[in-house]
Amino acid sequence: MKIEVKDLSVYYGPDHVLKNVSVSIKKQTVTALIGPSGCGKSTFLRCFNRMNDLIDNARIEGEIKIDNLDIYSPSVNVNELRKTIGMVFQKPNPFPKTIFENVAFGLRVNGEKNKKVIEEKVEKSLHQAALWNEVKDKLKKSALALSGGQQQRLCIARALAVEPSILLMDEPASALDPISTVKIEELIYQLKEKYTILIVTHNMQQASRTSDKTAFFYMGDLIEFEDTRTMFTNPKKEKTQNYITGRFG
Amino acid sequence: MNLIETEIGELKTELIDMTYMVKGQIEKCIQALYTFDKDLSKEVVKNEKWVNGCELRIDSKCEHILALFNPVAVDLRFVVASLKMVSDLERIGDNAKGIAQYIVKSETPFDKELIKKFRFEEMTTVTLDMLEVLSNSFEKDNTKLARTVFAKDEILDEINNQANIIFQEYVLNEKDPQKVMQAIYFLSIIRKMERVGDYITNIAEEIIFYVKAKVLRHNKKEKAKVKNKEEDSADDDL
Amino acid sequence: MKAKKIRRRLRRFKNFRKYELQDKIFQYVGLACTLFGIGILFVLLADVLMKGLTRVDWDFLMDLPSRKAERAGIYTAWIGTLWIMVSTAVIAFPVGVGAGLYLEEYGKRNKLANFVEINIANLAGVPSIIYGLLGLELFARALSLGGSILTGALTLSLLILPIIIVSTREALKSVPYTIREASYGLGATKWQTIWYQVLPASVSGIITGAILAISRAIGETAPLIVIGALSYVPFAASGVMDSFTVLPIQIFNWISRPQEEFAVNAAAAIIVMLSITFLMNGIAVFFRYRAQKKIKW
Repeated sequence: MKIEVKDLSVYYGPDHVLKNVSVSIKKQTVTALIGPSGCGKSTFLRCFNRMNDLIDNARIEGEIKIDNLDIYSPSVNVNELRKTIGMVFQKPNPFPKTIFENVAFGLRVNGEKNKKVIEEKVEKSLHQAALWNEVKDKLKKSALALSGGQQQRLCIARALAVEPSILLMDEPASALDPISTVKIEELIYQLKEKYTILIVTHNMQQASRTSDKTAFFYMGDLIEFEDTRTMFTNPKKEKTQNYITGRFG
Repeated sequence: MNLIETEIGELKTELIDMTYMVKGQIEKCIQALYTFDKDLSKEVVKNEKWVNGCELRIDSKCEHILALFNPVAVDLRFVVASLKMVSDLERIGDNAKGIAQYIVKSETPFDKELIKKFRFEEMTTVTLDMLEVLSNSFEKDNTKLARTVFAKDEILDEINNQANIIFQEYVLNEKDPQKVMQAIYFLSIIRKMERVGDYITNIAEEIIFYVKAKVLRHNKKEKAKVKNKEEDSADDDL
Repeated sequence: MKAKKIRRRLRRFKNFRKYELQDKIFQYVGLACTLFGIGILFVLLADVLMKGLTRVDWDFLMDLPSRKAERAGIYTAWIGTLWIMVSTAVIAFPVGVGAGLYLEEYGKRNKLANFVEINIANLAGVPSIIYGLLGLELFARALSLGGSILTGALTLSLLILPIIIVSTREALKSVPYTIREASYGLGATKWQTIWYQVLPASVSGIITGAILAISRAIGETAPLIVIGALSYVPFAASGVMDSFTVLPIQIFNWISRPQEEFAVNAAAAIIVMLSITFLMNGIAVFFRYRAQKKIKW
């Protein structure tokens, strides 16, 4: 399964926020998207599950092909697409329901009615998110009673429950303390075996620790897309070097 | 100028200072040899501790930058190269001290015949030249200039290789035991000088590494290519 | 030495005493206002309780109205109030909540939508008697429903509709967008998101608003009089097309009689009315408390 982006452009009204981005992403890799604030990396991320469609004055041009199917073609059902792509947001946003119901929601929305199947999948997802041991005795308690780091892992479990093939993470650890951050990063490393992961991050060290490839965005342009190791030891473009060494932005 | 730029700048300044210090040590011990100045030699021996102090300070600064500033790309390459360069510089200093110690040990001035036979003047001229080139290229990040030391080092290697035979000839013909002892010292001095040349080429390799991210260490083919002047300028335009 | 420093500092704050004084004055004025409002309320309540509490008994609640004060009861009145309350709720809730839901979730954000929003808010402030006139012309006469419970319910529904719509929209607005985002991210449709996430999270707020709206409706007198609620109804309403009366009208009727005993009856009826009002508000407060406890954004 591969992702091909060709000449992707996004406009918010008259603003050209993402400019002709073309990139190729291999399966089961972690790609970090870095760049200064407002450079378009979150917008780029949200193109993959068409979350930008929810914004009134957003216009998207170009194509994103996942396994040779353009996800913006009119024949694609947006909701079905989103079921194959999981998303984790910057601020943990569990539903105001029980821990169990949070993870089960995706399954129910998919039409799963079999109680046993739901229970099994919820447990599996919570295991995958490294949360099972901490919540197995309180599945019926409110999700809002968990700590920030636990809530974020719950959101990850929730996204994993529907067994997506791609996982989109928008600064998943930026609102968390260092220990929770480490847990999330370890999680990403394990999830890499099964999922293709795209992660937006402000934290350069996080990008360098967790990703295989890094994409550097600046003012809507994709400046450089490179193996992470190369990007952080010998980037090709001067703008990239200036950004990652902290010379600007 | 932000924090990491300041730190890297300070590190570079300290390295440049150490380069000049070590260059001074070599210049002094060479002069002391030609003029048989034991006082100058003792000064070189005494100053060695300053050189060691420099090494410790620079090591500490590199550690400080790595721990606190998370350098990446060129900054990282520079810090890593600095750690290696400082160790090579310290060894050059050691060798200068070693040569000075031989001068102090020697009872009589070195035989001018011997100096000529061993081509020692040529050696010292080339070494001093290499040191000059090295400090210039380091200060200005000029890799083209840095590359010129590789060819010069070959001269030192050649002189060193010939030294064994010359030594054999001299010892077979010379009856004066003192002169033979001097010849033994001289052989050691030549070895040390040759090693100084090696250290200088190492440092040049590190400079090329951190400026161009090109690894030339242990790579005879790359270095051979570099002798060609045209390739030099083409490479430097990247 | 230290005292000198403090005095020097105090002298610098020439207005120091003045600000302290202002603070104290404001505190006392605020307290007085509060006590004044509550005090008057208490005085009224006490007066009513003293006059009518003894009159409230089972007979009073179950007797039909009569010309004789001792035998007059509020049976038909509170039956009427109950019918009106339930009918209004049945009509106004679905329409109001549905409209609020549509406007908040499905409505486009354009000039027309803004225009509608402003007008709905305005309607909430229209005097209730205007609704009465509208109800009279439209329901009682044009649709020939007469002065029935149905007419009353429809009229009152129109009255409280804006209130329900606005409070529903507020409750829906209070659900953070991030919840909806998370739901869409999982592939839920708009309706699934609303039904499974937004509504459950906002239901307490919606119910609170609805109960308060109904609570207001059952206290309305003028519109019901206009559409033809009677003041002397010797029978209890048993269907939506029946004539009826309600507690406020009964109270009004008794107050206008000269006899002392009817004043007592009126006081007693007021006690019953107030009890119903407090009960409903209590339920609303209970729901609001539960909502706040459950959902801590």
